[in-house]
Amino acid sequence: MGEWIRFGFAAFLILCGLLAAGIAAFGLFKFRFALNRMHAAAMCDTLAILLVLSGLIVLSGFNFDSLKLFLIILLLWCASPVASHLLANLEVTVSPKLKDNCEILTDDGKEEEKV
Amino acid sequence: MSKIRKNYDTSFRTRFRRYILGETELPEVDYMPMYKKQIAEEKAEDERATEHYLMPPEVDPMEDAKRYAELSGMRWFRRLYGVMALLLCVAISGLLIYNVAFMPEFGSADTAMTNEVTERYIEKGQEETGVVNTVTGVILQYRGFDTFGETHVLFLATIAVMILLKRRKDEEPVRMDGENPGGDRILRTMAHFMVPLIFLFGLYILVNGHLSPGGGFSGGAVLGAGLILYSASFGFTATARFFNERIYDIVKVGSLMLYSLLIIYYLFTGANGIDSIVPLGKAGAIISSGLILPINILVGFEVACTMYAFFALFRKGGL
Amino acid sequence: MSLSQAYNILFGGAVGVLVLIMLCVLIRAVRGPEIVDRIVAVNMLGTLTIMIICILSLWLKQGYLLDVAIIYAMISFLAVVILTRIYLGVYHERMLKKEEERRG
Repeated sequence: MGEWIRFGFAAFLILCGLLAAGIAAFGLFKFRFALNRMHAAAMCDTLAILLVLSGLIVLSGFNFDSLKLFLIILLLWCASPVASHLLANLEVTVSPKLKDNCEILTDDGKEEEKV
Repeated sequence: MSKIRKNYDTSFRTRFRRYILGETELPEVDYMPMYKKQIAEEKAEDERATEHYLMPPEVDPMEDAKRYAELSGMRWFRRLYGVMALLLCVAISGLLIYNVAFMPEFGSADTAMTNEVTERYIEKGQEETGVVNTVTGVILQYRGFDTFGETHVLFLATIAVMILLKRRKDEEPVRMDGENPGGDRILRTMAHFMVPLIFLFGLYILVNGHLSPGGGFSGGAVLGAGLILYSASFGFTATARFFNERIYDIVKVGSLMLYSLLIIYYLFTGANGIDSIVPLGKAGAIISSGLILPINILVGFEVACTMYAFFALFRKGGL
Repeated sequence: MSLSQAYNILFGGAVGVLVLIMLCVLIRAVRGPEIVDRIVAVNMLGTLTIMIICILSLWLKQGYLLDVAIIYAMISFLAVVILTRIYLGVYHERMLKKEEERRG
């Protein structure tokens, strides 16, 4: 019975993770602007992988494999926000029609005047 | 006899190649003599009409030539090209997936893979080489000569890329965004944490090559990835503090020569039936299996140098 | 239904769903109008692949596959860093060239 409870909990976590990944993939097609799409994809990188891998950790119990899974979560949680930051940086630098899609604030928090 | 550039540009081969590649930017040559003649006549007429002042031409001849090329089938060719490429991809992947169905079941006894060679590797491999991971034993000892050649191919590839891409000292340097100080603070902070982790993991793969899957090639690739990440986040000048061209030469050539010496010793003793003086040790320990551990490490250094050299040469044309 | 059957259904279903999501993301990677879309889609493909590898390593009971997943995580991060760096460099170079042309 205990095994079944563990299985049920892990299955719940993994299914939640799959749902998050599916929503992220849906967001890639739903949004019109690249920064919004990036936001949706970044959710897959963090939330979905956390849920799926913690489900797997629950399944595998406490051993060397679960340590490695935890290391993967740690690595991705450190790396993928930085990757998103770099991508956003690239988009803001390169995109010619940035002002049509979002308002740009100055350092004081006021809206920049449209040129 | 060599052709001068103008002849080369007008040659049938170049025009055909440009047509196939879909380059719409046409060279300024006698592409459509009739058409150009017509434009020139119109221009002359305009000039005659204004007589003393040259009006800017209303029709840009290059623009018109582009439209002409597109109307004459280029557009259709491009669409057809896309469709055919997609069809080819789908066909090849379908064929491969179809072939998977004919593969024997994973681990079944009656396959072509379980012949006497495989049996020998599996039954005697650990005893003869002292390696727990049979794959490493096969690629570095039974098939050591093969791997020896592969490593030299890597060396030759780096030399070829160097010949093609290395910039001379008097050429202007490439402008690089990662080079300016205070560039990307978030990335640098992250790299402080990531780079040691990657190096540590690469060394783990290298040193554990005879115990677990991995070995010289994959461990070297991870080490090279760490070097590339370092130079991408801190800039090439920071990397040159510990990995400049001189150190690169020493590490690359030195590890290749040492590897050659070790493998020649192996081949000599193996071919003449002499017992190697290096003890095999207890299977499963880190320091065991004779010369395979140092060979793995040397191959790893070689691969890491190759990866970083490719990145640096393609990015800025020098180490 | 025994426990091992339940495990097979869970792992097989999860891998199947992840492959379907990957196909959707692949469409975005091919279509993506801007370079950022493509890089984002490729990054997401890498993350999904890591999930599949982890699930497979538990399903097939092969612990060493997790090493592959760790390397995959590192390399996909590295790919994003290098691509953005190189594209930014190319963009700045192009802008400089344009500036010089405008000045004459």
